Amino acid sequence: MIEARGLTKVYGDKTAVAGVNFTVEAGRVTGFLGPNGAGKSTTMRMIMGLDRPTSGSVTVNGSPLTGHAAPLRDVGALLDAKAVHTSRSAYNHLLAMAATHSIPKKRVHEVIEMTGLAEVARKKVGGFSLGMGQRLGIAAALLGDPQTVILDEPVNGLDPEGVVWVRNLVKYLASEGRTVFLSSHLMSEMAVTADHLIVIGRGRIIADAPIQEIITGKGQGRTRVRTDQPDRLMQLLAGTGVSVEVQERELLEVTGLDPRQIATAALENHVMIYELTPLQASLEEAYMELTKDEVEYHSLITTGAVPVEAGGN
Amino acid sequence: MSSTTVESTPSRRGADAQRSGNGSSSGPGPSFLRVLNSEFIKFRTLLSTLILLGSTVVVMVGFGALSAWGTGQFSEAAARDPEVGARLAAQGGDIAVSVPTSGIAFAQLILGSLGVLLMSSEFTTGMARSTFAAVPKRIPAFAAKLVVVVVTSFVVTAASTLAAGFVSVPILDNYGLGLDLGSPQSVKLLLVNSIYVAAVAAIGMALGTLIRNSAGGIMSLVGLFFVAPIAFQLIPGDFFVEARKYLPGNTVDPLTAVEHLPDTLEAWQAALVLGAWVVIPVLLAAVLLKRRDV
Repeated sequence: MIEARGLTKVYGDKTAVAGVNFTVEAGRVTGFLGPNGAGKSTTMRMIMGLDRPTSGSVTVNGSPLTGHAAPLRDVGALLDAKAVHTSRSAYNHLLAMAATHSIPKKRVHEVIEMTGLAEVARKKVGGFSLGMGQRLGIAAALLGDPQTVILDEPVNGLDPEGVVWVRNLVKYLASEGRTVFLSSHLMSEMAVTADHLIVIGRGRIIADAPIQEIITGKGQGRTRVRTDQPDRLMQLLAGTGVSVEVQERELLEVTGLDPRQIATAALENHVMIYELTPLQASLEEAYMELTKDEVEYHSLITTGAVPVEAGGN
Repeated sequence: MSSTTVESTPSRRGADAQRSGNGSSSGPGPSFLRVLNSEFIKFRTLLSTLILLGSTVVVMVGFGALSAWGTGQFSEAAARDPEVGARLAAQGGDIAVSVPTSGIAFAQLILGSLGVLLMSSEFTTGMARSTFAAVPKRIPAFAAKLVVVVVTSFVVTAASTLAAGFVSVPILDNYGLGLDLGSPQSVKLLLVNSIYVAAVAAIGMALGTLIRNSAGGIMSLVGLFFVAPIAFQLIPGDFFVEARKYLPGNTVDPLTAVEHLPDTLEAWQAALVLGAWVVIPVLLAAVLLKRRDV
């Protein structure tokens, strides 16, 4: 379990992480989602004790990493695919890491096999592709068979097969009861991988909920209705908190009522409806909605006009 | 890189993985000896390290041989030069005894740079994040690396001084000059110079830790050991004459001289000054390493 309390990191005049509170529970995959520069990596480095929080604290299983007797056996992290000396071979890198905790050579071979690095393990890391670097980083993270696994953008640079592999791996690790904390700026990846989502923007937590809740919560229960009497139905449904949008001549989109309420109203008033579809916002839409005010770098697509202000507030 | 499966994930801990409590660990942690072993593995698995160590031996032996030849050629003429005569007298009139250590200026540059590189490369390559994630207390990793750097520098300097001696003896013999590698002064020169080079390597490692940049660290080292002595000599004024004595590079002569040389420190002062040049940067580096973000 990872717990952040009032965790803050300030670099000069820039606040990278602004007093965040969150808990990453064991036994499920927790996604850490946010646009670039939102503070994900900084938060993860603070969990690993590499960056010192300006204020607040973060603990793993109740104590900061410096208080752990065998850190590598408790927490494994992929923080940066290139956290490796480029002139050393992958095998020797893992061997040196393992030596700090008397982890046997057998385990080094195991993680090399597991991550599919067997063929390149004796080659210098400097020649590795981004994907191979990621696999080595994941191998290093799993070396101590840790209870807590932290992966910063693990699918970056992986081929499609590797992406699926990471997805299955983190689910498997969580199913074993481990704490799995996984960052990404790709909402589509999170939608299929994470059970729980923490969304961060500009150093602040803007959502912390089960993934299903984030998707439906922002969807606001929209329902698509087709009827041959749209005007009549609109009158019937009108009320506070209800908005009806006419999409086509016989197609309405209703917000603020669930499908059952719409169907009941139609049945009681003998209005025929021939489609009643609950709409789910995609995670992508939900994410855009959540982060629209929190993105650090907006891209401006202008047609001829001169961009005036990029950053917003 | 293909067929990687999750089902075959070898895990020594299954569904009972869930543990609670304050960082309870299921096996040995980073004791100093384990971290030392790790640092030694890191040291010996870099080709560049091995090349620098090999270069030290080659340079020391090469300069020893050259110096033996030059000393032989020069011995008679040098005896008439009053300045060299004074130095000769300070070394007990034995011109041949310092031949094996004549390459020491280069050994200190190479091994001092090695000290810088071993730490600066941790930061330039990002390896430091792996190192300090495994050893979050940081100081054990720093101390272990320091031990590896100091011990290796000492051993390599001592061994290559000895090798240079073995090569020099027959050359000097040709000119009728005797060199007894077992004489107290030979042993003293070997030990003091080896300790000195180990100290330079430690200073290098401290600089690499403080500056975190290979070029910057090596330039600082060169500045301290090669530029400052010359600059201090060129600047007029008593202050710089006095200050020059306290440069780390000028602590070796007083320590090896048979008699006290003019314009140098006493041997015990030199030992203290060299010690301070090692201890202060190393402590500063350790404190800042602990405090700074990686």
